[in-house]
Amino acid sequence: MTMTTHGAPTRLSFATRRFMWLGASTGLLGLAILADILIGPAFLNVFDVLGALVNPSGASDPMVVTIVHAIRLPMTLMALIVGASLGVAGVQMQTILGNPLASPYTLGFSAAAGFGAALTILFGLQLPLIPQMTVPVAAFAAASMACLMVYGLAHIRGVTAEVMVLAGIATLFLFQSLQSLVQYLAAPEVLQEIVFWLFGSMLKATWFSVWISGTVLLVCLALLIPDMWKLTALRLGDERAASLGVNVPRLRRRVFFIVSLLTAGAVAFVGTIGFVGLVAPHLARMLVGEDQRILIPASAVFGGLLMVGASIASKLLSPGAVVPVGIVTALVGVPFLFALILTGKRRHW
Amino acid sequence: MHSNFFAGLAACAVSLTMTVSSALAGTITVTDTLDRTVEVPDDANRILLGFYFEDFYAIGGVDAYDKVVAISRPAWEGWRNSQWKAYVAVNPELESLVDIGEVDAGTFAIEVAIASKPDVAILAAWQYRALGDVVGKLEAAGIPVVVADYNAQTVEKHVASTLLIGEIVGQKDRAKELADSYAAAVADVEARIAKASGDKPVVYVELGNKGADEYGNSYGNGMWGGVIELAGGTNIAAGKVENWGPLNPEYVIASNPDAVFLAGSDWVSKPKAVLMGFGVDAEVTRGRMQPYMKRAGWAGMKAVQNGQVHAVYHGGARTLYDFAFLQYIAKVLYPEAFADVDPMANLMAHYAKYMPISPEGTFMIKLAD
Repeated sequence: MTMTTHGAPTRLSFATRRFMWLGASTGLLGLAILADILIGPAFLNVFDVLGALVNPSGASDPMVVTIVHAIRLPMTLMALIVGASLGVAGVQMQTILGNPLASPYTLGFSAAAGFGAALTILFGLQLPLIPQMTVPVAAFAAASMACLMVYGLAHIRGVTAEVMVLAGIATLFLFQSLQSLVQYLAAPEVLQEIVFWLFGSMLKATWFSVWISGTVLLVCLALLIPDMWKLTALRLGDERAASLGVNVPRLRRRVFFIVSLLTAGAVAFVGTIGFVGLVAPHLARMLVGEDQRILIPASAVFGGLLMVGASIASKLLSPGAVVPVGIVTALVGVPFLFALILTGKRRHW
Repeated sequence: MHSNFFAGLAACAVSLTMTVSSALAGTITVTDTLDRTVEVPDDANRILLGFYFEDFYAIGGVDAYDKVVAISRPAWEGWRNSQWKAYVAVNPELESLVDIGEVDAGTFAIEVAIASKPDVAILAAWQYRALGDVVGKLEAAGIPVVVADYNAQTVEKHVASTLLIGEIVGQKDRAKELADSYAAAVADVEARIAKASGDKPVVYVELGNKGADEYGNSYGNGMWGGVIELAGGTNIAAGKVENWGPLNPEYVIASNPDAVFLAGSDWVSKPKAVLMGFGVDAEVTRGRMQPYMKRAGWAGMKAVQNGQVHAVYHGGARTLYDFAFLQYIAKVLYPEAFADVDPMANLMAHYAKYMPISPEGTFMIKLAD
């Protein structure tokens, strides 16, 4: 608000344009969500689906209600939540590390999550009381461990972007090789199961996972709101942000934990879905700029759009089967990114 | 001059003795399932066996493993654990065979294989492909390699593999008998289905290794997909997944299958998997099948409403006795045409006639009897 009233006329129109972009992409996301719920290998009638969606008890065919409510809705919502989480996590990772190549995966969180999952699949471990939560809990725990490793190193050597990137990449390689070791030890059928987990698939989405990951996303967004100005300032560089009164190490630490929570919450249930966390922030930044007040929601919207779009594409690619969505996200997102790089007029990093 | 002459003489003598010894031992020329022509010793008694352990027993007889020096033990002990234990119980010698490692896991040890001094190596087609250049090294070490292929799941390859192993272990008549009865059993199933009336039933098959919480792999063309096709069913995974992969849950529900087959096995440390095989109680298997019925939308499925939910032993495909599983699936789909066929009894008969053990455990069952 302050920026628009203080700015010159061109600045004002730019601000309006940014809000228009955000509005347009949110509208597009809404359409994509609707399309994802309408499309499926059962080829249900559009009106039946809408009827089952709006008024489940009044629908004539219980099969339609089951398909819409127990199968399609959780998958669509999970795609939305995972995409939004990774989008926000990605943009914050790029902000605190000052690096356009950073993503939630740069620091090894996903590799660690994959290792945790692979380990439980290999040994067939089961948690007491909540056996269906074993793999997500293990993935979450391993991701937290990676987070603590990076944090510990940064704590000792100083919380700078360079130290965190180096420690993160070392962690990434460590967990990747541990993951490969588990795969090497696994029998073929178990290996298949591990590989399928690593691909990332919406098949694992349930209402339960929607609630958990959704809550994590909302809590993290709420935690980020007070820091929006500071994060915008941080993009000017550590020194300038510090001169503006930002406690840079404290901010970096705080956001780092939020990012690891977001990433773990997203990948624990559906497996490692890469790429979204790298690309969604760039798409958002190209269209709306650096102001975090609008960049955060835009990254969430683009992340969601990429994931829901990938979900639609995977259904259209092979109706009936389930092409792991992690494979499709890159296929859908890369052309999009190329187009923006080729047509973009501004420098966006 | 002299030294040259003697060297030549010695060389002649050596080559002469070699010819003589090979003529004494004798070789036969066999053609394997990849259409390779291979010279193998006619009384091979140091065999390296890569896979198809049960079929080797069926063809070679009770003493078959006396002629074996090395096996890929993880492919037996690791993949079909209860089966391995059942055979070790009657033949403890199996434990002392040299382990050459497992091809898929990349642990195949060529030095161990060569050091076990086999005079012929029998590999599965998938092992031959996975080994690549390593096969050349075995051959360079003087070990002829022949390839059997029951994984193809065709009568032609089953027959060819059986006759091939029969020739190598010197059991041609027994192999012929096995191959003929296999081909006859499959032909009988096809003839009965051809005569049966009614629509082709719709079938869904799923590997029960993940438990009910998550949809496991289904089979498009090969493996169970091929068996369902032969049994006269319409496989809903055909054309959806190429080899294997999970289907979309809503597609399974919307396809409304007439029969569901869960493929069970004796996976270790898989508390939710559909457990089957040697020494597994049928009620354990049924207990593991029960949660699948509670999956979203399954209650309305024809297969569930009509009680046509079954479990079949995953180790049953790709073997000489898989005709019994073919009969079981065909009987579920066309009960009248197979009224006089008892697949489990046929499986028992196969074991009684050709194998050193009997199949005690759960191999093919209906959820509710």
